[in-house]
Amino acid sequence: MTLDVEDLLRQGMERFAEKVPVPSGLARRAARARRRRLTIRAAAAAGAAAVAAVTVIAATGGADAGGSATQARTTAYVVSRVEKALADQHLVLRGRTTSGDWGPSFYWSYGPRNRFMELTDSAEPYIAVGTALIGGKLTGVYVTYYNRRWSLLPEGAAPGSACSMAGTLEMAGPAPPARNWPAFIQATLACGAASVTGHAWIDGVKTVRITGSPVTEKLSPGEAGAIHEKWVRSRWTLYVNPRTYLPVRLSGSSYTYGGPMPGYYSSGATDIRWLRPTAANVAKALVTIPPGFRHVSSPANQ
Amino acid sequence: MAEDQRVENLEEFLARRGQALLRTAALLTGSVQAGEDLLQAAIERLLRQRSRLDGDPEGYLRRTLCNLATDEFRRQSTWRRKLHLLQAEAPASPDATAAVDLRDALVRLLGQLPPQQRTVLVLRYWEQLNGPETAELLGCSEYAVKSAASRGLRRLRELAGGLQRDETQLHDVTARTGEES
Repeated sequence: MTLDVEDLLRQGMERFAEKVPVPSGLARRAARARRRRLTIRAAAAAGAAAVAAVTVIAATGGADAGGSATQARTTAYVVSRVEKALADQHLVLRGRTTSGDWGPSFYWSYGPRNRFMELTDSAEPYIAVGTALIGGKLTGVYVTYYNRRWSLLPEGAAPGSACSMAGTLEMAGPAPPARNWPAFIQATLACGAASVTGHAWIDGVKTVRITGSPVTEKLSPGEAGAIHEKWVRSRWTLYVNPRTYLPVRLSGSSYTYGGPMPGYYSSGATDIRWLRPTAANVAKALVTIPPGFRHVSSPANQ
Repeated sequence: MAEDQRVENLEEFLARRGQALLRTAALLTGSVQAGEDLLQAAIERLLRQRSRLDGDPEGYLRRTLCNLATDEFRRQSTWRRKLHLLQAEAPASPDATAAVDLRDALVRLLGQLPPQQRTVLVLRYWEQLNGPETAELLGCSEYAVKSAASRGLRRLRELAGGLQRDETQLHDVTARTGEES
């Protein structure tokens, strides 16, 4: 028997396709999955705070860092410089994140206050995460404007330690987490979780580029179940102005995979500006919950 | 436009065109369930490209389905595991139903091809796209499309030939066993 594979294949496809039903609710399921990803991403931004001290990284891994003793001295020097600079200036951080995966995003931070906000294409608020004043106390909140809901962020979510996977995952998120940055960076470089990888020109400034080592971590059961993937792989790169000791850009990327479907890659770059702490600028570092928004018990319910 | 409204509009679009897209997705993946997963992943990508939601999303979804199916080598191993089970279910009968079985088997055997060859064959024999159209959709050269189609068909012939030989051998064994008993 000779095989006319092409005809048989065509007929086989038609027979196979006859059994395929009209899909129902796929767009809603996809929208839910996307929102869950947003929730996971927002969790990474929770508690973000002053990045200024990240600067330390730059000098820590400076070009003259030869032996460990030299590096330790350099690190200590830079950490002290950055701490002093931050203490003197009390600057407000404003970050603007661009990404092919998400809408335009802004990040404001001043001391313990911070606000991360993603906008729609038409510049309407989409999600916000950060600190809000509730009962006179700074509290972590997550707001979703598309369905007019908000929730409190879980307390006690301390930033990951410098050499932990959690630390890198947070750095690769949309906004850097709250932490003692000088100590974090010092430890990160000391343990090899980050290294100086050269220079890059940004807005006419020859910045120092520091790259965190990529890490892979298993998603929590809840997260894994929500997006049907098991693993997340993240990395980050920081660019620091060597003259002012202030970071000018932080880029991060993450890739979730390990489910039945192709993996999901997202990346973004945050351009950082340092602003005077005027009342208006400081106010922008707080999330405001619009009246009429419904309070739900956890971000997962949004 | 609010996101909820966009999603509802997309549901309406899928009510009209979703079955055609799902058929392609199912052929690319080997099962309706995996096809739904693939289509959902494509829709999720569409949702983050908000500007595309205001136009006709079909072209984008179709292209994304093919790219996701082609790019992901991991899917191939999943497919092969499923195919092994499916092949075991195929009746080994050399009678008049053999041709029908072979048609079904060929569709299942698609999963043993590399992703690009499989995608090219689905686009050619299901979507009825010609070489230039396929090349444009996959973002590759016409030569690559022709080469993938040719190699894919050759491989399918080999696999189908092997399937036929197995069936014949099984039939012979069954016949002999029947004679001896």
